[in-house]
Amino acid sequence: MLLRVDNLKTHLQVSGETVRAVDGISFHIDEGETFCLVGESGSGKSITALSVMQLLPPHVSRHPAGRIEFRYRHPEGQREWVDILQLSEARKLGIRGARIAMIFQEPMTSLNPVFTVGDQIIEALQLHDPELDEAEARERAIAALDQVRIPAPAQRIDDYPHRLSGGQRQRVMIAMAMALEPDLLIADEPTTALDVTVQAEILRLMKDLQRRQGMSILFITHDFGVVSQMAERLAVMRLGQIVESDSLESILHRPQHPYTRQLIAALPENLKRSRGQGPEGRGQRGGEPLLRVAGLSVHFPVKQGVLRRTVDQVRAVDGVDLQIERGRILALVGESGCGKTTLGRALLRLIEPTAGRIEFDGQTISGLPARQLRPFRRRMQIVFQDPISSLNPRLTVATMLIEPMKVHGLGADDDERIAVAERTLERVNMEPGHLWRYPHEFSGGQRQRLGIARALVLEPRFIVCDEVTSALDVSVQAELLQMLLKLRYEKDLALLFITHDIGVVEYVSDETAVMNAGRIVERGPTDRVCGDPQDPYTQRLLAAVPRVPL
Amino acid sequence: MVPTLVGITVVVFAIMAASPGGISSQALVEGQNLEPQAKKALMEYYNRRYGLDDPPPIQYLRWLNNVSPIGFTFNEANEISGFSLLKGSDLGESFRYGRPVAGLLADRVPITLLLNLLSLPLIYVIAISIGVRAATQRGQAFDVGSSVIMLALWSVPTMLTGVLLIGFFASDQYWHWFPTAGLSEREALDMPFLPHWGSAHDVLILFAGVAGGVVLALLLSRRGGRALRSVTLALLGGWAGYLMSAQLPGADWQAAPLLLPALGAAVLGGIGLLEYPGLRDAAIASIGLVTGILAVTPLMEEAFVRGFLLDRLWHLALPVICLSYSGFAFLSRLTRSAVLENLLSDYARTARAKGAPESLVLWRHVFRNSLLPLITVAATLLPGLLMGSVIVESIFSIDGMGKLAVEAVKDRDSELVLSITLISGLLNLAGYLIADLAYALADPRVSYE
Amino acid sequence: MSEVRQPARGAPRSYTRQVLVEVLSRWGARLGLAWIAVLIVLAVFAPFLANSRPLLAATASGLVTPLIADLTAVDVTLLVVFFASLALLPLRLRVRSKLGILAGVIVLTAVAGQALLTPSQIVVHQQYREAEATGEYRWAIYPPIPYSPKDYLRDFGDTGLEPPLAASGRSHWFGTDKHGADVLSRMIHASRIALGIGLVATGIALGIGVIIGGLMGYFAGVVDILGMRLVEIFEAIPLLFLLLTFVAFFGRSLYLMMVIIGITSWPGYARYIRAEFLKLRQQEFVQAAIACGLPLHSVLFRHMLPNGLAPLLVTASFGVASAILAETTLSFLGLGLVDDPSWGQMLNQAVQSSTFNWWMAAFPGGAIFLTVFGYNLVGEALRDAVDPYLKKAAA
Repeated sequence: MLLRVDNLKTHLQVSGETVRAVDGISFHIDEGETFCLVGESGSGKSITALSVMQLLPPHVSRHPAGRIEFRYRHPEGQREWVDILQLSEARKLGIRGARIAMIFQEPMTSLNPVFTVGDQIIEALQLHDPELDEAEARERAIAALDQVRIPAPAQRIDDYPHRLSGGQRQRVMIAMAMALEPDLLIADEPTTALDVTVQAEILRLMKDLQRRQGMSILFITHDFGVVSQMAERLAVMRLGQIVESDSLESILHRPQHPYTRQLIAALPENLKRSRGQGPEGRGQRGGEPLLRVAGLSVHFPVKQGVLRRTVDQVRAVDGVDLQIERGRILALVGESGCGKTTLGRALLRLIEPTAGRIEFDGQTISGLPARQLRPFRRRMQIVFQDPISSLNPRLTVATMLIEPMKVHGLGADDDERIAVAERTLERVNMEPGHLWRYPHEFSGGQRQRLGIARALVLEPRFIVCDEVTSALDVSVQAELLQMLLKLRYEKDLALLFITHDIGVVEYVSDETAVMNAGRIVERGPTDRVCGDPQDPYTQRLLAAVPRVPL
Repeated sequence: MVPTLVGITVVVFAIMAASPGGISSQALVEGQNLEPQAKKALMEYYNRRYGLDDPPPIQYLRWLNNVSPIGFTFNEANEISGFSLLKGSDLGESFRYGRPVAGLLADRVPITLLLNLLSLPLIYVIAISIGVRAATQRGQAFDVGSSVIMLALWSVPTMLTGVLLIGFFASDQYWHWFPTAGLSEREALDMPFLPHWGSAHDVLILFAGVAGGVVLALLLSRRGGRALRSVTLALLGGWAGYLMSAQLPGADWQAAPLLLPALGAAVLGGIGLLEYPGLRDAAIASIGLVTGILAVTPLMEEAFVRGFLLDRLWHLALPVICLSYSGFAFLSRLTRSAVLENLLSDYARTARAKGAPESLVLWRHVFRNSLLPLITVAATLLPGLLMGSVIVESIFSIDGMGKLAVEAVKDRDSELVLSITLISGLLNLAGYLIADLAYALADPRVSYE
Repeated sequence: MSEVRQPARGAPRSYTRQVLVEVLSRWGARLGLAWIAVLIVLAVFAPFLANSRPLLAATASGLVTPLIADLTAVDVTLLVVFFASLALLPLRLRVRSKLGILAGVIVLTAVAGQALLTPSQIVVHQQYREAEATGEYRWAIYPPIPYSPKDYLRDFGDTGLEPPLAASGRSHWFGTDKHGADVLSRMIHASRIALGIGLVATGIALGIGVIIGGLMGYFAGVVDILGMRLVEIFEAIPLLFLLLTFVAFFGRSLYLMMVIIGITSWPGYARYIRAEFLKLRQQEFVQAAIACGLPLHSVLFRHMLPNGLAPLLVTASFGVASAILAETTLSFLGLGLVDDPSWGQMLNQAVQSSTFNWWMAAFPGGAIFLTVFGYNLVGEALRDAVDPYLKKAAA
């Protein structure tokens, strides 16, 4: 055994109140094993990690109870069990970075922008070995970069972080953490902010390094697919407590605790199974396409120089053909930067297309002036990804819903419009009383539902859903997806569902289009595209998705 | 940069041209008291420079041509005679001083620059030391106290400080510790540059006094406990207050012998209570220095010649304080918020996770990043400093550009006013440019296009 | 530390109310607002607080009210507006209606006052004291400070700078200035100029800045580039030099100064609004509003502007402080108004003669300091209230 946490409690002072972030948890990690801590946001898993590292600010946090016992390896070699919570600050500094290392979720901001990559790795080395001379430190830093498979490490070592991509920065973080050969690596959602292909590589790298160095990993995540790649044992956390802790296989197939069962049931793979029942799962086939797109392009000019001449074009969307029939859901999948968000907004002419034709319900809308476009705006709507910025914080829900109705002339007077608004709220599983509240009083999931309500209130035929569930927890996501399917059935809606999450695609959509670098590389019925992909990019993409072995 | 420069000239000229009466009106108003010949000469002068009968845009072009170092040259008959790259900038003549403006400015601008350049480092040093400490001690006594004091200091208008400083410390009514006006005494021009003591004996005594004072002070600051420090300093402060009240001429302030020692004891005692080692060491060491010098001065035998340098510094002391306090009050709050933000950043967390002690995180990582907004704000400090110099120079009778500007406005000396505004705009632009360059050097993310 | 659970909050509140409550809960804002309130009262009631004319006097032919008879249009307008605002406050009308009513009242009273009131053009201040001495007034009730700001006390002989409470026979609580006028009286009347310049100049600067900045932020592109050049030009010339240039060529007058200070300080606001608008344009709720087909004016004024305005109040508060400082600086340098009372001009007299007249520095200087400090405190409190609230809403 390497680490044993015993009844750990961490209390935080937030705005004058005491929050029991970690409320009595116990777990252990053996040498050489990977242990996962799973939970949704607010469960306390990050605070647990920070407690082990003792990185919480001392004046707002305290540990009223518990022990964190770690088998500390002295520089000379002998081992000693210590309670991290009782150590002096000097000894904690000796452990941090050298025996227990940590990597974080946001690679873009975790490196100091004013120092080179090499400087930062060398600093880690010199902190724990002040005798180390410059040349040797540099050698070891280059070796560390090489180990995490950064090409041309001898040159890259002098680069500043802003020259590296997100994936590369995360590799540098790993190199920095591993340079001192720690016994335990704590990884707090290290791949959540990365593309799925990059994620696959990083996970593989971590497993590789672990095997080579015999290191233990405490891996924190909310994604069961990732857990399946990395660990055999896991613990599920909720509201500061561990509700269930067992092997992966047991939890996936025989969850005991109601919360765990709820979580497992909400997995997209499991949702897919339950989809077969009920007419809501089926989208009707055939009929005239509601939306037809031909040769759509959106190019942004790149301007440089004093006179701002256009030197190049960014081809965000490069000649896309699409069609969606009434009542069908088309999923648009791709990694970050592929142009799917731009395409979604271009369809609604929130971004002006540079070329191509958009036809809606038989009429060409791509060239229309603003005034003539207005009636179409009623029938085509959009819901956004970010629950924070998608609602105007100054307006009540009522104003937000009623104003569009007024502009389009729906409803005879305000009372009628209020009634319609209330009905719409009920349809998205919210209460009519919520009409008079402000957005800041709702949770993320509720705000997304309000966004959908705003789209629904005009009775549209077509809605673009731009990564609507990407910012939500798994269980909330499941509810929202089920709600969307129900609405689609009730209202015969056509949806363009933009996402990067393949699991969701398989559950929700009838057809799938895969997008890469502004182009659609593959398109077809979802079952076919996901089961038997033809295009090499699609194959790579699907292979990289971490699957839950159910 | 260039369009902004041109824009400044347009704005400045437009103000003048738009005024009632146009360009030459002010001179003519003033010139009403002149004899006909002088008035005629003035009219000719203006006609030569601007072309009084031409429409304003042409006048502007003529003026621009005069002011810029590259341009057309004119002959006697006021026609274009050629184009020269080395014409030189003709800023006109100040009719009040009877000299070319360029000459006047060459005399005065360096003085203003001296004042400002002395203030800048002072501002930054004090602001950083207070701001960083406030950020690391967030919410505690030093932070709350310094925030309020800095906000109050920032709110005190420069004029008030200047007036109070002169009134109390540079006048005959209270303490005449500092000179009343100007940048140096007339005698100083004859003095040697460095201070000069009469005999080696004096130098030794001075050295002993200074060394003894500083060493004792540092010992007190580092080793003495809180009680010892505050009591010793309070006694010292009380005694200094008593001495100060003894120096007051006249008997009008009866309360002085009671009030001043109490004030002195409170202030110095308070310094003794500070828990900020850096600031406390510096303050107590300087108190020790002054005490040491004062203690041994009566023992010195021969005359002491101040020297040009010391004299200059003595004259500059009050004006520089007056000019910089509002700058460092503002900057210290900015430093505090920049440091706070960076202390909570992700990369600071990474540094801690590597095992870096908090002091290293602060001074190596956070400080370096916090400097960036401070450099940017230097560009905004400059206009403030230039404005402040106008007031400070007027109060302390220092012959700089600012004082010249005020007098020019009072005298309706149009050429002078225009040129000064133009030059101040140029200085500002230069400052922005330097700040931009410094930022590009400091932040590797920025590439200078 | 991104996973901390937020404890539940109480009843729903609109954004404006929330900000107001947060601001008022800080002691700094309370102090600042208290002082500003004192200033407003002083400014509005100045003629009733410091005047050589008696409020009420009894002559052989009955009661006379010289003070009220001599009120100017400005005096009356200020009084009416003050009471009108107080009356409107508890009413349950929309803010826009209240402002509209107030504007109407101002215009009406100004016009009526100008037409109906007849204050004496030439005032001989000592006549009232002489009348009392000769017995023409049997008794007279004076305002608390029985000296007008321009009353040079000629009937007392050769008057000049005197420290507080020095002279016999008359009590000057704050001393007299170099012409012999009572300092406290001048200070009270000067508060009008200070407040007036502060608010009007900032209002003008805000107006210009918001329009230019808003256009820059919304349309971007060419408009933005041109606008930024304009902003840079005005920023490159130090404010004081620009003011000096204006004064040199246009002369001095109170209204001119207000306009000039306003015209020269707009760049800061423009930059701010531009940055806010650029940020807001990318916010998804603005995109959603456009997607719903809402008209442009609704998007601009209902969705974008209210979200950008609250932080602007912070800048405006500091802006008022700096406008007041600008005016006092000009007056101090001798470039301000000639005869009208002004704090800066009084400060100037502190070191004019070879003696240091501490009361001319302490009192007017203190007033300037308290006013600037007050506005700065309010600005700080506003900033603290606005920023974390936005962040809390986002959490």
